[in-house]
Amino acid sequence: MKVSHKWLKNYIDLEAEPEEVKEKLTMLGLEVESVEYLGEKYKNFYVGEVLEVMKHPNADKLTVCKVNVGKDTLQIICGAPNVAVGQKVPVALVGAVIPRNQHDPEGKPFVLTRAKIRGVESYGMICSEYELALGDDKEGIMVLEPDAIVGQPLAEYFGLDDVVYDVSITPNRPDCLSHIGIARELAVAFGLKLKKPEVKLAESSKKVFEFASVEIIDTVNCPRYAARVVLNVKVEPSPKWLQNYLKSVGLRPINNIVDITNFVLYEVGHPLHAFDYDKLAGHKIVVKCAEEGEVFITLDGKARTLRRDTLMICDAEKPVAIAGVMGGLNSEITERTRNVLIESAYFNPISIRRTSKYLGLSTDASYRFERGADPNAVIWAVNRAAQLMAEIAGGEVLEGVIDVYPIKIEPKIINLRFSRLNSIIGIEIPKGEVIKILEGLELEILKLDENGLTVKVPTFRPDLEREIDLIEEVARVYGYDKIPDKMSSIVHFSTDKIKTDFHELIRERLIGAGFKEVVTNSMLDEDRARIFGDNFVKVLNPLSREMSALRTSLIPSALDVVRHNFGYGIKNLKFFEIGKVFRVSFDEDEKPKFVDNYIEEERLLILMTGLAEPISYDVKERNFDIYDLKGEVEKLFRAVFLENYQFIYYSNNSEISEFELGVEIGGKYAGRLMKVSEALLKKFDLEADVYIAEIDFDLIRENSKIEERHYSEIPKFPSVYRDLAFVIDESVSVGDVEKAIRESAGDVLKSIRLFDIYRGEKIGEGKKSVAFSLEILSPEKTLTDEEVNSLIQKVVKYVEQKLDAKLRSY
Amino acid sequence: MINQIEEVKAKFLEELQTLKDEKELEEFRVKYLGRRGIIQSLFDKLKEIPREEKPTVGKILNELKELAQEKFNEKKKEIEAKKEKVKISLDLTIPGRFKYTGRKHPLTQTLEEIKKIFVSMGFEVASGPEIEDDYHNFEALNIPPEHPARDMQDTFFIKENIILRTHTSPVQIRVMKSKQPPVRIIAPGRVYRNEAISARSYCLFHQVEGLYVDEGVSFAELKGTLLAFAKQMFGSSVKLRFRPSFFPFTEPSAEVDVSCFICGGKGCKVCKYGGWLEILGCGMVDPNVFKFVGYDSERYTGYAFGMGVERIAMLKYGIDDIRLFYENDFRFLEQF
Repeated sequence: MKVSHKWLKNYIDLEAEPEEVKEKLTMLGLEVESVEYLGEKYKNFYVGEVLEVMKHPNADKLTVCKVNVGKDTLQIICGAPNVAVGQKVPVALVGAVIPRNQHDPEGKPFVLTRAKIRGVESYGMICSEYELALGDDKEGIMVLEPDAIVGQPLAEYFGLDDVVYDVSITPNRPDCLSHIGIARELAVAFGLKLKKPEVKLAESSKKVFEFASVEIIDTVNCPRYAARVVLNVKVEPSPKWLQNYLKSVGLRPINNIVDITNFVLYEVGHPLHAFDYDKLAGHKIVVKCAEEGEVFITLDGKARTLRRDTLMICDAEKPVAIAGVMGGLNSEITERTRNVLIESAYFNPISIRRTSKYLGLSTDASYRFERGADPNAVIWAVNRAAQLMAEIAGGEVLEGVIDVYPIKIEPKIINLRFSRLNSIIGIEIPKGEVIKILEGLELEILKLDENGLTVKVPTFRPDLEREIDLIEEVARVYGYDKIPDKMSSIVHFSTDKIKTDFHELIRERLIGAGFKEVVTNSMLDEDRARIFGDNFVKVLNPLSREMSALRTSLIPSALDVVRHNFGYGIKNLKFFEIGKVFRVSFDEDEKPKFVDNYIEEERLLILMTGLAEPISYDVKERNFDIYDLKGEVEKLFRAVFLENYQFIYYSNNSEISEFELGVEIGGKYAGRLMKVSEALLKKFDLEADVYIAEIDFDLIRENSKIEERHYSEIPKFPSVYRDLAFVIDESVSVGDVEKAIRESAGDVLKSIRLFDIYRGEKIGEGKKSVAFSLEILSPEKTLTDEEVNSLIQKVVKYVEQKLDAKLRSY
Repeated sequence: MINQIEEVKAKFLEELQTLKDEKELEEFRVKYLGRRGIIQSLFDKLKEIPREEKPTVGKILNELKELAQEKFNEKKKEIEAKKEKVKISLDLTIPGRFKYTGRKHPLTQTLEEIKKIFVSMGFEVASGPEIEDDYHNFEALNIPPEHPARDMQDTFFIKENIILRTHTSPVQIRVMKSKQPPVRIIAPGRVYRNEAISARSYCLFHQVEGLYVDEGVSFAELKGTLLAFAKQMFGSSVKLRFRPSFFPFTEPSAEVDVSCFICGGKGCKVCKYGGWLEILGCGMVDPNVFKFVGYDSERYTGYAFGMGVERIAMLKYGIDDIRLFYENDFRFLEQF
């Protein structure tokens, strides 16, 4: 909310500088987001009087003027047709920043310099409305009121010698949505006295009850409705002081009657509404809910469709306003309005909020009502408005207020224990201080003893309901900065066994292997989500179609990362992500769900594309392939002591992959390694070989034996290595040979490593040679040559027979 | 004859010194030591001299031959050695062999730092779902339906009463419902806000929630704990400023600013010349929240806090556009 420094001064003797006010408000919990010095813009602008106007010797359309600006009389060249002797005009002196340049298509500001125009010196500028950014008139210079004081700074003349604070008010503080509310806070903080203006009304002898009546049908949503009638007002523009106040807080002056209701709103925070009394059928106000589907045209000219729960202000025949939100066009104040009915009511915050939300219409009034206006400010506000209408618009205020208030809203009574206060805050706050703070906030102390006190809370503070609310008030005003920083002397340790941070472990391993970590959006296009299954979660109110679903796979967003980097010529990518995927499940046996039937799982994605190694002087260029990926995955598994995994080989190709192999961990399907299909790449405008592994993160964690690492004796004897190569049919896989070797070699085979695959003339078409290095080790003794040889012979014989293989070299 | 031998010897030694490479060496060898070389020709002349002189001259000649061979071999070695040296000389300016280098995402790095500090203070790590229900995300946190505080967080809906969590605070509720005090946890995680994407805001971000409930936990202790955190996170000279604020689930509530660690509080572009940077929100757990989870609010008090990981990472590294975190440009990731 915008708050005027000048306006505040009506209620407190504020002497502090704006910067100090800003600091105070901020430290009271009323965060000042910015401070605007309105006069700043018109530095070097003054009120001048045109003394002389002569034709420019060298230009037909220009005149040479002599202008008195108070301290000095200046020669100024002017191009406006309307300049005349005796006018009071806005004058910019050399050095002034002209807010808008009339000759610039975008109207950019410029600094005024001394200039020679067609041979004649000019020492200033007489400005138009446009140049001052006060209006759109470019045709001539702006002419000020004849009584303007020559030499007065222009900012002062316009009432802009003010400072405006933009204060961010939290939703619990409706009382601060007004100048009196802010002044009250500053009064407590600076130790000043709050001076609420006294309302004195000269009422006529005519009684209001003879002129109007009010009936509340929905007393739940409208607990109180008050009205006054003011006759014979003259609707015209407001006086300058009133216009200036409204402008300073960002409101547009309309006419004196509407401006007065807005002024009272910003003064005390209570929204009012002024009806044209003569347009109210039966001169009656009825408060009730609308008919479902009823259409009503609001002040802004828009047709609004109402619901059964929309609270309306009606006259004897029709609705005339949406209660607490906006008035209707049919009862609006116009230039022809003679008599006014002022509404001052209190509406149920929930009702107003609901209406404002579904209409998508938030107004100054609804904003305050939905946060909680003061039911007991109703009379003060309506009297204040009536007083101003009498003073400013010459109205006749009828005697009495119509005040329908069936169930009185009483101030709350709250107890505060000093012991509780001190234990929450952590230090003892002197009782005198507590009392001073609470009284400063206009809380009435009903009872006081050494243990605590009892207060009556004014109804403008709906946020104060409980003891803790009072504790906050005391702490806030006392000052958070005066509360010491304590660290409890007892160190608290967790009593749970420290576990490896598994996420960190996986990350460290992958980073060590040269992968970058990415973090991607978990929302994506529905169509992309659908590629990975129909059980994806939809977002009802997405930001855009591109984010209308939650991901069921990390693959789409990973491909987005690839595309982004390719776009910048970065073609060699090696990265991973650990992230959540989401889906809906209707399977009763599925793992525990947090919420409804939604399942969230964590996945690990690894992606590789481009050159397997950075370009170097002695490295043969080679692209990543599936075996690089497989190697990285297995390396990772080993690093985290994951042993019970196996690959499932199938030569499946799908919409997603050109080929893929599955991974099982602990006997459960855990994910897959793949070469991404061209079809999928095309959807991301990619042309490249991209390899991706996506694996269930929880399965890796649950099956890791990292917490069970255990020493087993280091072999006492050296290993023996033997190389074996077999020529086999193409149809036989490397895995088959490996398996056969393992089967036949038994326990002494410690490890087996493929070191060569050869195809060529030497071994014939349709054949390949596969060579392995076998590590043989007995835990009991050093094996003799004979023992090793006989083992190898056994292996050779077995493999040859089983796979129709032939030993190639030994 | 002897003079002649001496002459050859002198010449041989002289010429030998001038040899530079293998080619010259070979020519030289042929000239002196070859089968038709000078020394051999001297041997040939031996036949012509008187018999009695033969043994003496022969001996001298043999000595010459041996010496010549020896000196030649020395020279040969010298030249070959030189050549060898050229062949194996190292060029250490050749670049080393590079592999791709890994990097942790800056958000992860920041989060891990935050986590480590709180874990060292005895906090345990908890987590909760990102698809939440209204009850945990709002209601149990003292944000009833139709409350204006709901406007503070624009929400993505999955269906009625099911949303994408707007903060990590629902984890507080889940943890407190599962155990009695003392509770001392942090809960890092991803949260969602239905806000237009710009350099300043993204539709999702990461938070770290903190909660401590026990007997006798006070606001003063909240201040002390967060100050200790800030000093470890941003530097030992930083100060904190606690400003009163409003969160429905804490009371009293505060927003916390850290003195700008870029300029030391003097005022700079990063802190918009104010000297302070807003980093987190906190407060004492509202008794209404304790009511929802079944804690005795007369016996227990507690504090809670929440901070944005992106915000802290942006301040720490001087990143001016939040979208960079989710773009994953390798030129960005390389920098951390």
